[in-house]
Amino acid sequence: MLGTIIIYGFINSSILVLVAMGFNLTFGISGVANFAYGAIYIFSGFLTWIFLNSLGINYLLSIFLTFVCTFLLGYLIYRFILLRVRGLSLSEVMATFGLGLAIMELFRYFDFVGVKYSLPVFIDGSVPIFGNYVDYQRLIIGIIAVAFAVAFYFFIHYSKVGLAFRAIAQDDVTALTLGIDPDRIGAISLALGSSLAAMAAIVILPLGTISVENGYEVLIDALAVCIVGGLGSSVGVIVAGLVIGYVQTLTANFFEPRWMILVSLAAMALVLVIKPSGLFGKQKELEERV
Amino acid sequence: MLTIRNLMVFYENALAINDLSLKVKEGEIVGVIGSNSAGKSTLLNTIAGLTLDLKIKERRKGGERITIMGRIDYMGENITDLLAVHRVRKGIILCRERHPIFPESDVMENLRIAAYLRSKSHLKRMVAYIFELFPALKDYRKKRAGFLSGGEQQMLAIGMALVAGPKLLLLDEPLLGLSPAMQTRLVSAIKDIRKSQGVTIIISEQFARPVLPIIDRGYIIENGMLVLSGTGRELMENPEVKSAYFGV
Repeated sequence: MLGTIIIYGFINSSILVLVAMGFNLTFGISGVANFAYGAIYIFSGFLTWIFLNSLGINYLLSIFLTFVCTFLLGYLIYRFILLRVRGLSLSEVMATFGLGLAIMELFRYFDFVGVKYSLPVFIDGSVPIFGNYVDYQRLIIGIIAVAFAVAFYFFIHYSKVGLAFRAIAQDDVTALTLGIDPDRIGAISLALGSSLAAMAAIVILPLGTISVENGYEVLIDALAVCIVGGLGSSVGVIVAGLVIGYVQTLTANFFEPRWMILVSLAAMALVLVIKPSGLFGKQKELEERV
Repeated sequence: MLTIRNLMVFYENALAINDLSLKVKEGEIVGVIGSNSAGKSTLLNTIAGLTLDLKIKERRKGGERITIMGRIDYMGENITDLLAVHRVRKGIILCRERHPIFPESDVMENLRIAAYLRSKSHLKRMVAYIFELFPALKDYRKKRAGFLSGGEQQMLAIGMALVAGPKLLLLDEPLLGLSPAMQTRLVSAIKDIRKSQGVTIIISEQFARPVLPIIDRGYIIENGMLVLSGTGRELMENPEVKSAYFGV
């Protein structure tokens, strides 16, 4: 029993961390809450499916093409939609939320519904860990989440773009005086955030079918993890992902799986009441953003 | 190197810079002296392109409060409408007032961020020079910049501006709020930067006394207007300057 909880709790946490990272990255750097995030998630799933099944492209290449397309999609959303309303938070939220709804409902309108819309697992089979058989896909999710967290740390601290991200997140005017263009970095942050949504979708979706509802659920999960962890904090995302992930697994084990969604909603509500800035969040002073 | 002709900057109806013209020659240290809200920061921000950037951001949001008129030439090129990022590429680097640093990053990371447009070898060379200029920073390499004292933060801010590769360095009130001892150290560092790096410097200050000895020429501005100009020595001996800007 304990083994089951440790393993599945960890995999569940990995899923939450993967899902939340992209949303968190964009918000932490450019301050844009990308409410089209869930739509981009299912867009990546359906796109990979189309490349794979309708166009007959091999799986690996389909995945690569999906990454390129979502990166471009994020970049274009920033350049053509968000740039006009930059700095007006409510307009940013409305623009991305509206766009997200449009994308998701278009998929429903064009009848992307049913069990045939599913992605193949990377490797078939399972492996025993602590007496539990864990399928390779879930194992891959755990490995990718850990590998990604490590790679992300090095990217942010040692690459030029990563350092520019850190600079813009702290003080965009000072960054500008050093030649870092906030609009370019903002667009890249949205593009990368979208690619991270694609990465999450491609490793997680093979566990089930791709449906429009996934988009809404993913947005709720990403929001819950980010709000609990503190918007914009990478450490916060990992800690909140682990906490919510394990509590969800415990809930599913001791109560019923259908109550799992309540855990993230309750955690979000609790944090908003007790510490609105989240576990690791720092509410930026108004003067810092001006 | 820099020629400003009939510059006017309005914030809505308030006139921040009023018909100001000035010239800076290559290799000079030029002082801009004026009291609070005289227009010093607006002048430096306008040279660096930040005022233009703000204007563009406001236009995007649908309202425009800022008007810039006049002409700015830098190294023989009209840069009046050039974006801030491109001005940085051309070597116009502004170090804003109140030590602009990234508080959550450590000292080395701040310097690495500042090298965004420059090569690794340039960064290495400048870091060696900065640690020679400000030995205190060397001991705090791994310390978070937000935990440094005001003077150390100012040293770091100047160091970052140097890493960014200036030909024209704009220092906005670098001595503000620092102890007299720290002011003396910074002033001699600024002198050294001109001498060893060949950088042209414009420095703005409220009080003339600490900077007058190192500037070649100075401009006194009041309410956005140029009221007096002259060499450092001329200004030092001017009784009006003495009474108004020497803090006596």
